[in-house]
Amino acid sequence: MTDALGMMAGLRVTDALLDAPLDISMTVDGATVAAGVRPRYLLSDFLREQAGVGGVHVACGHGVCGACTVAVDGTPVRACLMLAVQADGAVVQTVASLSELEGDTAPGKDGLTRLQAAFRQHHALQCGYCTPGLLVSTALFLSEHKAQGRPCPGRAEILDHLNGHLCRCTGYANIIAAIESVLA
Amino acid sequence: MSQATEKFGQRMRRREDPSLLTGKGVYLADLIRPGMAAMRVIRSPLAHARIKRIDVSAIVHDPNCLGFMSAADLPTALGVLPAMDLVETSLPVQQRVLAQDTVRFAGEPVAVVLARDEYFAEDLAERVIVEYEPLPSVMNVRAGIEAHAPLLYPEQGSNIVHETTQRVGDPDGAFAAAAVIIEETFAFRRLMGSPMETRGAMATLEPDSARYVVHSSTQIPQVLRTELSRITGVPLEHLRVVAPRIGGGFGCKEAVYPEEVLLLLALQRFKIPVYWIEDRAESFSATVHGREESMHVRAALDAEGIVTALEADCLADIGAAYALFTNTPSAAVAMLRGPYRIPHFRSRARSVVTNKTPLNVYRGAGYPQATLAMERLMDRAAAELGIDRAEIRRRNLLQPEAFPVERGVAYPGCGPVVYDSGNFPALLDSTLEAIGYQGFPVRRAQATGEVSLGLGLSFVVEMTSGGGVEPARLRLTPNGRLQLLSGITAIGQGSETTLAQILSDHLGLPADMVEVLAGDTDDSPNAPGTFASRGATMGGNAACNAGDAFILQARKLTAELKGVNVDDIAWKNGLLAARSSTAEGSSVQELTLMSLMLEAEARGLNPAQRLDVTARFDDSGTGFASACHAAVVSLDRGTGAIRVLDYAVTHDCGRVANPLLVDGQIMGGVVQGLGGCLFEALEYTDLGVPLSKSYMDYILPTAATAPRFILRHIETPSPLNPLGMKGAGEAGCSGAAGAIVNAIADALGNEIPLPGGSGPFTPALIHEILCNASLKDASPC
Repeated sequence: MTDALGMMAGLRVTDALLDAPLDISMTVDGATVAAGVRPRYLLSDFLREQAGVGGVHVACGHGVCGACTVAVDGTPVRACLMLAVQADGAVVQTVASLSELEGDTAPGKDGLTRLQAAFRQHHALQCGYCTPGLLVSTALFLSEHKAQGRPCPGRAEILDHLNGHLCRCTGYANIIAAIESVLA
Repeated sequence: MSQATEKFGQRMRRREDPSLLTGKGVYLADLIRPGMAAMRVIRSPLAHARIKRIDVSAIVHDPNCLGFMSAADLPTALGVLPAMDLVETSLPVQQRVLAQDTVRFAGEPVAVVLARDEYFAEDLAERVIVEYEPLPSVMNVRAGIEAHAPLLYPEQGSNIVHETTQRVGDPDGAFAAAAVIIEETFAFRRLMGSPMETRGAMATLEPDSARYVVHSSTQIPQVLRTELSRITGVPLEHLRVVAPRIGGGFGCKEAVYPEEVLLLLALQRFKIPVYWIEDRAESFSATVHGREESMHVRAALDAEGIVTALEADCLADIGAAYALFTNTPSAAVAMLRGPYRIPHFRSRARSVVTNKTPLNVYRGAGYPQATLAMERLMDRAAAELGIDRAEIRRRNLLQPEAFPVERGVAYPGCGPVVYDSGNFPALLDSTLEAIGYQGFPVRRAQATGEVSLGLGLSFVVEMTSGGGVEPARLRLTPNGRLQLLSGITAIGQGSETTLAQILSDHLGLPADMVEVLAGDTDDSPNAPGTFASRGATMGGNAACNAGDAFILQARKLTAELKGVNVDDIAWKNGLLAARSSTAEGSSVQELTLMSLMLEAEARGLNPAQRLDVTARFDDSGTGFASACHAAVVSLDRGTGAIRVLDYAVTHDCGRVANPLLVDGQIMGGVVQGLGGCLFEALEYTDLGVPLSKSYMDYILPTAATAPRFILRHIETPSPLNPLGMKGAGEAGCSGAAGAIVNAIADALGNEIPLPGGSGPFTPALIHEILCNASLKDASPC
């Protein structure tokens, strides 16, 4: 809320008001998480601190790198750019829900989904910091294509999708190879 | 029996991956617990200024403020930050933990505030008023060495704080006799490693022992512990440092930083556990930079294209103070000749302090600059003399029979440079074939429209694995786990997999029987850490030595247990075979490690202590890895855009333990090098205000910029270590700029001069180069 809006509403925007907690609740990887949070509290912090999700990595905090990507009601979202209160009532899925995001019934016997196993097979990760967000948005990208009846996006579409993610370790070639290997 | 895929040389998949892929990797931020205070660092916004006043009245009574420290609050005996590669004549310009009186770069820590979370800490920091009196700043090396330049450290009398010279043969004579002299000044831009995980650290008190524990995303936990003790006076035995899983390093986490000291001091002073996670914006000025230098190079050639002499004068812009390894980049100018014979050589490398963030090593540590300069000169000489670019290189390469090659220069801190092994002509042949050198003129002619193609070559020979002594510890835990405790910190390079692979092959065990741990100074041996492409070679050979020592201990213990001679006990694929002879003949009884542990325990033989060995690998010299790179780029004359289409590397890092991971290092390094010459540059205003504050103004390579890779290996084993290995972490990054910038020059054509240096060759710069060229032709742009 801006000062101008606050004054129109007859309120003086104070730190105290900005810091007054609001009760919110959301479903995170299948579990209901409720907490009183300040309006300025970020979704990325909510997921890490209130929901205890380790697989949301904040790498830039500016929405550029994609490391913190999660699915909010089935849509990819940079968790560092959304306020927790904006996700009140939403269904949030992180890398822990990757199996569902990929539309697979169950992970393989090594506990890895098809996409995760392909990343391992192709050495598509090194430090692993960008990986969970990359997996979430890639799963959404692939399932969107599947839903549109185009299960095999071309190289250009894959690159276009990957351009929303920064990886400083791999040089990307193995990430591209891993994704191409899981196309139907 | 170990599986075929677990042998040395196999493409073993990483053991690190399952936890990382499922979001379960434990990085620094995952260790934050409720009740810890968040620290926010108040940093100078100015490049050079006197601190007139720090006013904290607005926050001292705020209940959210859990603590505040400026220089006035620090212990008077506090040490300065360390620098490890100084020479006798280096001037002592080391950074203070907090600026005292004077700030010397935008981003320098001035004070810290503690609050119950990062939101409050940031609010409080904004309400602290620091009043500055600006001082004239030095923003580049040319200005820094002028006679009346403002001095960063007036008491030192000069901004030139370090100088190294080298001389081989008679360069003056060779230049006097030269048929052709090629010279050029190269400007290498300021870059940074910028790992995806920013830095972070925390200080806590161990509840029972009252020891201080510092967790840090550092590549060098043991060095950090030693230095924290030296700086703060906390005795070593009261200090434990732990590096958790690290989200990328590249040299950024290879320094001792003010924040790590401040967290420890805050814990001591305010008695609360406290953490700090660097935000991305502050990372661009709070974490070390890399590369920036100006290098003037002259080459003398005879009419046949033989380079007879080389002369280089390098001014490194090291920022406001030494970082941990400040002088390596400028000293690497000593390595300028790379794979070429060049009998006469002279160099001078000087380090100049400027009002910018301290410069440290960044992946490649000087080699990217040396390679680019040398390889540009080779291309220019080839054009000048009308010799094919591959041919002029071939004529100058050191030959395989010349090894070991004394280069006549010294690498500061590491002694004389002696190339141990290599086959440079084979690297060249392989790479020419991989990139399609012969067919390239046809391919170039087929380019249509505004697109021009170019091909560039480059060679890199780099010091790797030089680390002196590397210890490793191997132990059998009472519950039967075989644990390798390594000094090689995991920063994403897959060291746990590689070390397990090397050791298990050496011991004849399945790799999953060996657990690899690193990063905790309580358990891991006191080793230098992860940097300079040393992990696999130093860590691997140390692990094998520990394996040998362990086997001997296990055999001795078994002999004692069985009451036989140790010579009658053999180690066989993880089993201890005891041969006993009786009148009827001999029999062999096999014992597993677990049963050895249990039986020895039952007999009171103290197996956990005896099966816990530390052994050292003593490097008798430095292994030099080499590579030949080739790039094909397209240049769009309409948009100015450069794309790297194909990229070939033939790499010689001796015996390759795991080609899957080595190739990963090469590709990642190449794309990092590509970023440094196409997109990245840390920009400042003339007054020293940093302009690069996010990934929107410091552009990293994305997936669309990744070339098609053709990767090959030639293995000339290093004679310096039993495994015959040489380092692999930096060769991709070190050679990339040379190949890509040569390819850009080739695409532009020899008639259009390219500015010397690393660019970055953005569409805007290419457009400007094309405009300037057409203006010269008096045709409209």
